[in-house]
Formats: sequence, structure tokens, C-alpha cells
Amino acid sequence: MVAIDADTHIDTAPRNFLNCETGLWSWLTTHDHKRIGILYAIGITFFFFLGGAAATLIRLHLVTPNGAVLDAETYNKAFTFHGVVMVWFFLIPSIPATLGNFLLPLMIGARDVAFPKLNLASWYLYIIGGLFTICALLMGGVDTGWTFYTPFSTMFSNSNVFLVIVGVFVTGFSTIFTGLNFIVTIHNLRMPGMKWFKLPLFVWAMYAVSIVMVLATPVLAMTLALIGLERGLGVGVFDPALGGDPLLFQHLFWFYSHPAVYIMILPAMGVVSEIIPCFAKRDIFGYRFMVYALVAIAVIGFLVWGHHMFVAGMSVYAGLVFSILSFLVAVPSAIKVFNWTATLHKGAITFEAPMLYALGFVGLFMLGGLTGLMLAAPALDVPLHDTYFVIAHFHYVMVGGSVMAYLGGIHYWWPKITGKLYNEALAKFSAILMFCGFNLTFFPQYVLGYEGMPRRYAHYAPQFQVLNVLSSAGASILALSYLLPLAYLGWSLFRGAAAGNNPWDARGLEWQTTSPPPTENFFKPPVVQDAYAYDQPAP
Amino acid sequence: MNASVNEIESLRDRGLLEKQFDDPVQQREAATLGMWVFLSTEILFFGVLFASYTICRILYPHGFAYASRETDFLLGTIETGVLLTSSSLIALGVRAIKLDQRALAAWLLAGTAALGVTFLVMHGFEYHKEWTEHLIPGLNFARGGPYARAIELFFCLYYFITGFHSLHVLAGVCVIGGLAIRVARGAFGPERFTTLELAALYWHLVDIVWIFVYPLIYLVGRAG
Amino acid sequence: MNTLAREVRGAHEQERKDPGSHITPVWHYLAVLATLLALLTLSAISALFPLGYWNTIVNLMISVIKTLLVMLFFMHETEARTLTRTTSALGFVWLAILIGIMLTDFLARSIVPPPW
Repeated sequence: MVAIDADTHIDTAPRNFLNCETGLWSWLTTHDHKRIGILYAIGITFFFFLGGAAATLIRLHLVTPNGAVLDAETYNKAFTFHGVVMVWFFLIPSIPATLGNFLLPLMIGARDVAFPKLNLASWYLYIIGGLFTICALLMGGVDTGWTFYTPFSTMFSNSNVFLVIVGVFVTGFSTIFTGLNFIVTIHNLRMPGMKWFKLPLFVWAMYAVSIVMVLATPVLAMTLALIGLERGLGVGVFDPALGGDPLLFQHLFWFYSHPAVYIMILPAMGVVSEIIPCFAKRDIFGYRFMVYALVAIAVIGFLVWGHHMFVAGMSVYAGLVFSILSFLVAVPSAIKVFNWTATLHKGAITFEAPMLYALGFVGLFMLGGLTGLMLAAPALDVPLHDTYFVIAHFHYVMVGGSVMAYLGGIHYWWPKITGKLYNEALAKFSAILMFCGFNLTFFPQYVLGYEGMPRRYAHYAPQFQVLNVLSSAGASILALSYLLPLAYLGWSLFRGAAAGNNPWDARGLEWQTTSPPPTENFFKPPVVQDAYAYDQPAP
Repeated sequence: MNASVNEIESLRDRGLLEKQFDDPVQQREAATLGMWVFLSTEILFFGVLFASYTICRILYPHGFAYASRETDFLLGTIETGVLLTSSSLIALGVRAIKLDQRALAAWLLAGTAALGVTFLVMHGFEYHKEWTEHLIPGLNFARGGPYARAIELFFCLYYFITGFHSLHVLAGVCVIGGLAIRVARGAFGPERFTTLELAALYWHLVDIVWIFVYPLIYLVGRAG
Repeated sequence: MNTLAREVRGAHEQERKDPGSHITPVWHYLAVLATLLALLTLSAISALFPLGYWNTIVNLMISVIKTLLVMLFFMHETEARTLTRTTSALGFVWLAILIGIMLTDFLARSIVPPPW
């Protein structure tokens, strides 16, 4: 029996969650939150590249104004597929279902989540929903846009709307059950001594995002069901010809979909709040305000949905209310950016790959957030709505923000999850390449939008071509930077050096167990310190 | 309740305490909180239909009053009474199992399921009547006059709301009926009743949804 | 790990009440049922009187009272911890937000005539 202590290295392992049971069946029937996190990681990586393939088609097509690659209807299907897959099958589950599932019980000192079987069921729902969506693709796709606006989606579209709606409906319940699981886990399973204000900000972010998931997603589920019913029966409440109101659909849809974008960003903020203190070797600046900001973003994020509808025919007075609230939600986001920056001040900063991703997040999220403020002003939104300015804005926060944070988190916790170290030089190169490729892809789109290029058009005016070519060139660099991690992370699984328990000298309960952890998470009870106790030695 | 180490191990061995929980109270609190979170999602799920109803009624106040008079006042009222009674039965049933009165608990749960079936049957009669009166949008709707659109919208919402609600009632009936059989076979007792409590919470929510459906569908414009 | 955590937890929470252990008397449930059925009769009868918009207000108020009765007594919210009560309220509050803010649109629209 090998003696286990804080410095135990795993080369040929004492038992851990990866080697305790082998075989596909043991993975498909697991109740272990760590294995379920990995199952999700495989799923979302697959969907990321599927959605990325659609994006590749789009950017290839947009190299020329008259589009030589796709016809108009197929172009509509391409951007719809890109949106549906990236939003529901990649971004929303990405950090919560992979890193959240893996880390949450570890970070609070628990043995598993509150409802392990429900956790596995969530993964199956996610996969089944994904299969429905792939089915829709194979049968010809959907051309409504990921926003399914009525009456086009209910009355006039000739594509496989119903299949996609079923897919998203089913996956929605995966989200709801994950959120439910996390809320109960955080309330009930914290180990003794792990008080609320000692929790890492990643846990607080999981808590905030779970509340959003649980309160927003049911609204989407019913709204999609209503589209299905209206499409199937030819009657409903969204069709103006029958006395209904298409704006009713937009209100209901955006009541979910705006909080959905906070589902995408809150976990990313949680990841960044773990990485920056570690590589600046300082306690996070303003921990309590970081907590309050997370909760404030989650709550206020529910009140701003109408800013997607300023030009849809909504009442001007409602527009006023939504605009003010949208400006308000920027305040807690800004507080977080200030606090991350202040954490860096006088820190002993090192630039490992996770830190590069986290710093990239802070800058790109800030740019995306500022342009969001511009769109929140109705006067500016009138010319900018439905242009590439909006596309650039949300890609800055979602891709420059969430995806970078997700990759940063993957790199940061990779040694803990796999027990291996990846090639640091390649990882740094990849991160910098991503930053450059991203900006080349999406910054020109701000200019394009400002100059008036509309979104979701298969053809554009010739004067926009130069910027479109730049954007597509950037996209090819970005694509390479996403493929590189697949290569060197995959390589590390077979040839990587052993990681040890705490290769980054980080704080947090997950670093007090072995890499990879055992099935029950801890061989001996971890020691609870204050969060981000970088002024004290690691226990 | 402070169980000793031996009691905890005994509970784990008998399958009464899952490995992620430290003691039965923690497990029960987690289960209850989890169910309440799920019920909140159900409130928002049905809430979309109530929100749509609110907007459409504001757009067509007189049309909705006219359409509501076409629903069956008596059946709707009796259905509400049936559901309220079934709620009290299952509450009493959970109480009985905590007191180890298994036979009584089984009958009370069976009674709840039976009342649920009664509700569905009565609702079936309502739907049949509306079919004969050509009030089913998309299938055989045939009303004219100034309020035709509003009536069609009203009945659209009526079928959506009562349809989703009836599906939930059916699911509840199946689960509670199954639990009644398992109670009779001794699967539950004072140490093991959390599943029944959770099922009861679900059934009460189904009842609460109907408590709001009733006045909004059946009682609009009755005085006119 | 099991025993250490449990003993420490036990020491911290000696007096923690177990909401599941409370037994409500039978007559409580029957009294609540009687009240619910009485309220149902009241709403049905009041609907037959022409009170204008007060019909809707009275009926919805009765629904709210019925819901509170079911939640407090049948769903044991009187014995539940604060967290449970907050969770149960949250769904209703969020629905109120959805409907309330949507109404700021639907009630405040003005018809803008075309300029020609």
C-alpha cells in the first residue's frame, strides 16, 4: 500500500478515478461527477468543431461579395446551424458541464454532487438532444436563424424546424437538471468549515449560473413547444393573421436568451477569477464585491431582454426601461474587470498558458462589453441592429470571452484532471496565435457593421469585400489555434510528464488531492483555508 | 437527530443513505430542496402560457369573456374540487407512512391517483363536448362573428394549458399509483418516505397550476 | 473521511431541526381542505355577479389564497427552512417579472400612422 501525502506523484498510479474501472460500459454507466465531466468534454468538443465547420463555410463564402460557395438558402442554413450548435451544444454546457461537474465537489470538499444519477441523466439528455439536431442537419437543415423568429419559423419555413426544436427542448432539460444539481450541492454538501465566503469564486460562479439556468431555461422550453404546436396545427398565439403577436414570441424567447448569454459568461468569469490570483500569486482584489457582482449580473441579466427588440415594434417606453437596465448590468461587469486588474497590481506575475488565456479574456471581454453598451442605447441601436456590429459584439464576449476562458480553464486544470503536463511552449504559442487570429477575424466586423453591412445576408455590397477578406483570413488563423490544443493536449495524455498534486502552487481544495483524484475525491480530508490564501503556504 | 457512526454505516449498508451524504437529515434536505427547485422550473414552464394568456386577454377582453362562456362551468368547478381533495389525500397519505400506517397510506395514495383519473375523465368529456361544438382550432374550428379570432386564440390557449396540465396529471397519476402499490408491499416506512414526500410536492404543484387555470378559463364573463 | 466529516458536522449542528420529522394532526389537513372548497364555491358564485373587472381581481385573489394554503399546509412550508421558502417564492417572483415587464410593452404601445 503506497503511503499518500501531499507530494505523492502519480506515474504508475495508485488508484484514481480514471483507472479504478475500465471499459466503455463503466464510463457510460458512471455516477462519478469527474467521469461525467469528461463525457461532456468529449461531446462539446465534437459540437464545437461541428459548429466551427459551419463557420468555416460561412467565412469561405463571404470572401466574395456574390458568394461562390453556397446558395442563399444554404447560407441561411449554415448560419442557423452555426448558431444553434454553438449556443446550445457548445457554449451553454461548456464550462459548467465539464469544468463545473469535475471541480465543484472537489472545491467544496464533497464526495460527489447531490444527485449523481440525475447528473448522468443530464448527459444523456444532452446527447439525445444533439442527435436530434444532427438529424435535422442530415435531413436538410433549418433556415430560420437560431432565434426562430415567428411567423417565419411557424408558418413559412420549409425546413426541419420541428426536429431542431425537439433537440434544443431535450437539451434544455439537461441544462435545468445540471443547474438543479449544482444549487443543491452547493447549499447542502459543503464540507464543515467551508463557509459561503470562503468559497472560490468559481463555485460562486457555478451557483449564480445555476440559478440563471433554472429560472430561464423552462421559459425557452415552453416557447419552443409553442412554436412546434403552432407549426403543427397551423394556429397559435404568435401569428398576426390569427390575431396573435410575433412580438409575444420575441419577448418570451429573449426572456430566456438574454440570461442565456450570462449563462455563457458567468462561468468564464469564475474560471478567470481562479487563474489570475494563481499566476499573480495574490489574493483576488475585492472578493466580496466579486461575489456581489456575480449575483448582480445574474439577477439584472433577467431584466434586460428587450434590448434585442428596440426596432421590432416594441413600445418606446418599454425600450426606455430596457435601455436603462442594460446600462445598469454593465456596472457589476466593470467592477469585475477593475478587480481582476487590481489583482495584478504588484503581483508576482508569470505568463503560463492559462494566464495568457485569462489576460486575453479580460481585454476582449472588456471590448465586447463596451460595444454592448453602445448597442444598449436605442439611438445607436437603430442603425446598428442586425448589422455586423452586433455580430462582432457578441463574438467578442462569447469567443474572445467565454471560449478563451474555457480553454484557459482546460489548460489550468488539465494536470489535475489527467495527471499529465502539456507542452508549455506550444500552449503559449497557441494562446497568442488565438488572440491574434481572433482580433483579425472580428475587429473588421465592427467596422463592417458601422459601415452598414447587414447580418445574415448571403451577398453584400462590393465595398465591404476588403474587410470581409481580412476577417476570413483571421478565421483561418483562429481555426489553426483551436486545432493545436487538440494536438498537444492529446499528445500529453500519452507522453506528458507527471503533474504532481499542485504543479501551479495554487490554492483551493482541488489542489490538495492527487492528480488525478481518486473516485471519492480525497484520500484524507482537505484543509479549509480562506479563498485565495496566496500569502500562506499551501497546506 | 444525531446518528452515531454505527447507525450511519448501517444506513449505508441498507441502502438508505447515499455515499455523497453524511447523514439522513442532509439527504432529506437535499432531496426536498432539489424538488422545490424543480417545481420552480415548472412554475416558469406553465408561466409562459399564463403570460401569453395575459397578453392575449388584454388584446381581446370582450372576445375572451365571450369564449369563456363556451367552457363548461359545472365540470370545471367539479374538476377543481376533485384536485383539491386529491391534494389533501396525498398529504394525509405521507403523514400516514411517517406513522407506519402502511395500509392507510396505500389507500390514500390510491385514492389520490383515482381522483387524478377522475379529473382526466371529466376533462375528456369537456374536450368531447368542445369537439361536437366545433371549438378545436386547427382541427374543426368553425366560429364566425366579430369575436371569431379572439375565440380561436382563447381556445388555442385553453388546449395548450389544459393539455400540458393534463399530461402532468397523467404523469403524476402513474407515479403515485405505482408508489401506492409499493407502499402496500412494504417498500416505504418511517425511515424511508422521502420519495413519497417528493411525489406529494409534485402533485400539489399540479394542483396549484389548476387553481390558477380555473378562474382564468372558466370564470371570465360569466355574469354577462 | 466519512466519519470525520459527519462528526464535525454533528458538532456544528446539534440543534438543527429535521423538517421531515414533524407530524401534522389530521384535523389540520381537513380544515384546510374545507377552507379550500369554501373558497372554490365563493369564486364560482362571485363569478355569476356582474362586478366588472372586480370579478377577475376577486377570483385571482382567491386563487392566491388557495395557493398559499396549499403551500403552507399541504407542502409543509410552515416547518421548512428559509432556503426552501425562498426557492418556492422565486418561481412566482420570476414569473411576475416576465409578465410585468412584458406589460410595459403591450400596455404602452401607440399606433404610429404612416406618413403618407
